[in-house]
Amino acid sequence: MQTLYLAIAILALLAIVFGAILGFAAIRFKVDGDPIVDQIDSLLPQTQCGQCGHPGCKPYAQAIANGEAINRCPPGGETTIKALADLLDLEAIPLDAEHGSEAIRTIAYIREDECIGCTKCIQACPVDAILGAAKQMHTVIVDECTGCDLCLEPCPVDCIDMLPVEVTSASWHWQQPAQLIATSNLPYSRGESDHA
Amino acid sequence: MHKIWNFHGGVHPVENKTQSNQLPIIVMPIPTQLTMHLSQHIGKVAKAIVETGDYVLKGQLIACAQGVVSANVHAPSSGHVSAIADRTLPHQSALSGPCIVIDTDGKDQWATLTPTANPESLSKPDLLNLIQAAGITGMGGAGFPSAVKLQPKSNIHTLIINGAECEPYITADDRLMREYAAQIIAGIQLVQQLIDQPHCLIGIEDNKPEAVAALTYAADQHTNIEVCVIPTKYPSGGEKQLIEILTGKQVPHGGIPADIGMVCQNVGTVKAIFDAIILGQPLINRITTVTGKAAANAGNYEVLLGTQVTDILAFAKVDLAKTSRLVMGGPMMGFTIQDTHTPIIKSSNCILAAADLELAPVADHHACIRCGQCEVACPAQLLPQQLFWFAKAEEFEKAQDHNLSDCIECGACAWVCPSQIPLVQYYRYAKGRLKTINSEAQLAEASRLRFENREQRLVDEKLAKEEKRKARALTAAAAQAAKRAANPSAEDPIAAALARVNLKKQAQTNIAAQKSPEDEYKELKTAAAITRTKLNKTRKALTNAQAQDHEQAQELQQTVIALTTKASAAAAELHAYEVKLGLDPEKEKTLQLAVAKANGVVRKLEKSLATADDLQQLEAEIFNAKAIHEAAGLALEEHQANAKEKPTSTQES
Ligand code: SF4
Ligand code: SF4
Ligand code: SF4
Ligand code: SF4
Repeated sequence: MQTLYLAIAILALLAIVFGAILGFAAIRFKVDGDPIVDQIDSLLPQTQCGQCGHPGCKPYAQAIANGEAINRCPPGGETTIKALADLLDLEAIPLDAEHGSEAIRTIAYIREDECIGCTKCIQACPVDAILGAAKQMHTVIVDECTGCDLCLEPCPVDCIDMLPVEVTSASWHWQQPAQLIATSNLPYSRGESDHA
Repeated sequence: MHKIWNFHGGVHPVENKTQSNQLPIIVMPIPTQLTMHLSQHIGKVAKAIVETGDYVLKGQLIACAQGVVSANVHAPSSGHVSAIADRTLPHQSALSGPCIVIDTDGKDQWATLTPTANPESLSKPDLLNLIQAAGITGMGGAGFPSAVKLQPKSNIHTLIINGAECEPYITADDRLMREYAAQIIAGIQLVQQLIDQPHCLIGIEDNKPEAVAALTYAADQHTNIEVCVIPTKYPSGGEKQLIEILTGKQVPHGGIPADIGMVCQNVGTVKAIFDAIILGQPLINRITTVTGKAAANAGNYEVLLGTQVTDILAFAKVDLAKTSRLVMGGPMMGFTIQDTHTPIIKSSNCILAAADLELAPVADHHACIRCGQCEVACPAQLLPQQLFWFAKAEEFEKAQDHNLSDCIECGACAWVCPSQIPLVQYYRYAKGRLKTINSEAQLAEASRLRFENREQRLVDEKLAKEEKRKARALTAAAAQAAKRAANPSAEDPIAAALARVNLKKQAQTNIAAQKSPEDEYKELKTAAAITRTKLNKTRKALTNAQAQDHEQAQELQQTVIALTTKASAAAAELHAYEVKLGLDPEKEKTLQLAVAKANGVVRKLEKSLATADDLQQLEAEIFNAKAIHEAAGLALEEHQANAKEKPTSTQES
């Protein structure tokens, strides 16, 4: 009988000790914010364009965490869908056409001599990429523009153009070699010269 | 005799060096035009400090380095600047970049130079400044500014001089070492002076006995300069490989030679340092090998930087009809020249005009048979076949994990591959994609931060406004209470109580409505705009799909129809709301346009004022235009004021 009490006492003691450790750890290593939302947000392209139907990438990340479909972000396209599917252990589905289609990346340019300085585009830009003041010429900080198109609509004189991002010698890179079929009868193939 | 180590892998391609290393270096006559590129592919573009039409002297500074990884550019000969414009870059991409074009006058007149008679008196910063001012960059490969590489660091105990020249066909360094041995040794001494007298090892492959003899003779008196003969094996001239051969030590993954106390310089660069400090001459020429079966006069030529490839080909009697492929650089690491007007730059060591079948033709490649030969050949001890699979499957992160960044793109793996897979191109592709992915991630992170900051700011602004409103309401209430206290009998207490109850009720209904009409209006507007944008985008996609007879077209058609109804519904809702609020955005837009237009007219007229003959008439016109502008502005303001009043009035009623 005494052994039984001893065993119970030891187990109870252990339970208290581990409980204390766990309790301490829960307070000491508390994670701020919602880790899964942040993880999803870090995979979204941060264009902040609203094409997914949410006012920005973070809200869409929140919605995905709540079970919304992962195929609503056109700027991210296939790559983002694949990454999200990997993270959430879901199936990668094709992009939802209702939210737009994947397009080449563009950047906004204001035709500066036509700008009337109405500040409307500044208010629309989700990432503060436009510089200007009332009745002064406005300009886009091209390095900060995400190409979200949101500044086009409010401009009363339609002086904003979306132009494709130019390839420079710094951003240019090699393409993947063309995939050729495994056998061919081109005269230069090695098999031919071996026979010759 | 210094001990020599070996490095993993390597290959022995046919050397093909005797075609070009038999004759002494020939100085090429000054071409009629020189094209000076302002960028060196890495780092920032140098800033031009001359203008079109300026006369420049030989050796005059024409563009200043911008930032650290950038180099000064000097005029290689005297003449007039005929253009500052974009020209084809000597780069695989064949893109264009900014250039200064000089039409030479043949006088070859030097600018005033400042040679140094006794370099021993120069301090380290002085030496570094002279090297930087002369625009010297690595002349062996990547073209990294030498002044950056030679920046004083502590614990540099070994200086490695690269004279291996391991790539087939190229003999520029070979001839340079034979003919300028004394200058090279003097240049080495200057570098030693700059970095605390390290021990110097010169690595030369054993297929260049004349160069070894010349340098050994020149270095005879110097105990801390050693000439080391190394076995011929490609790529022994790779920086990390040469260091391993000469010292047995490996540069750590992701590190630079300075991490293990070493600095590596090419023989050509050392000679350029000699010219810059002792003679005061900036880097304006280099030795370039012209070779290949299509070149009748194969050999080494001293050419001015900026000389176009066509001029060199003509001078070396290259038969373009016989040339099947024109390569800048060597056969292993060079790239095909697409535009023969491309100029020579500081790192152009060879032009290879290959005749038919001289280089392996671009053949179709077969599947990888996992033979492992590439792994045996790889000098960087990578697993090329794995990297190939990852690059092909676009699994760039895995390629990264397999140390793709350590690949020196030497081509040894592709050379041995029995399936003739263009392995290096796969690696270059994967590296390029990784770079884009990383820069996009950086951009996204920055956008995310700015977006979040903006959201926070908007929230703060809203709170501050609310706060202010509350404060105002409080002061108003206090004022009223004071008034009442001063004049207590003015009101019937019952009526006052009733009024209070009424007010409370009203406030409650307001709260129930929650959104202010302005907010609601804004929301409707955004909703309408978003549907409109979506509709336009889908329409565009639809026309594209139809043009290409895509099967998606049908699906898109339906989406367009659905969106059209949505968009018109949203627009109708918005319009209804606008009518309710008494707003008229259409009118506002037309008015705004009118203002902008009138403003444009005024500006244009004012501009022409400067050149016009009939001043009076123009002035009158301007007066008129200004009046129109003002009237339009007034109309707009009036309209806006009206619009502002109306919503508040609806709110109150
Ligand atoms: S659609 Fe636009 S706002 Fe939505 S997640 Fe993608 S980039 Fe962000
Ligand atoms: S400038 Fe225009 S396109 Fe660029 S991020 Fe801002 S709103 Fe979007
Ligand atoms: S040498 Fe070519 S075929 Fe052999 S394992 Fe390497 S990539 Fe595959
Ligand atoms: S190209 Fe890269 S992977 Fe191929 S052998 Fe050279 S270092 Fe190794």
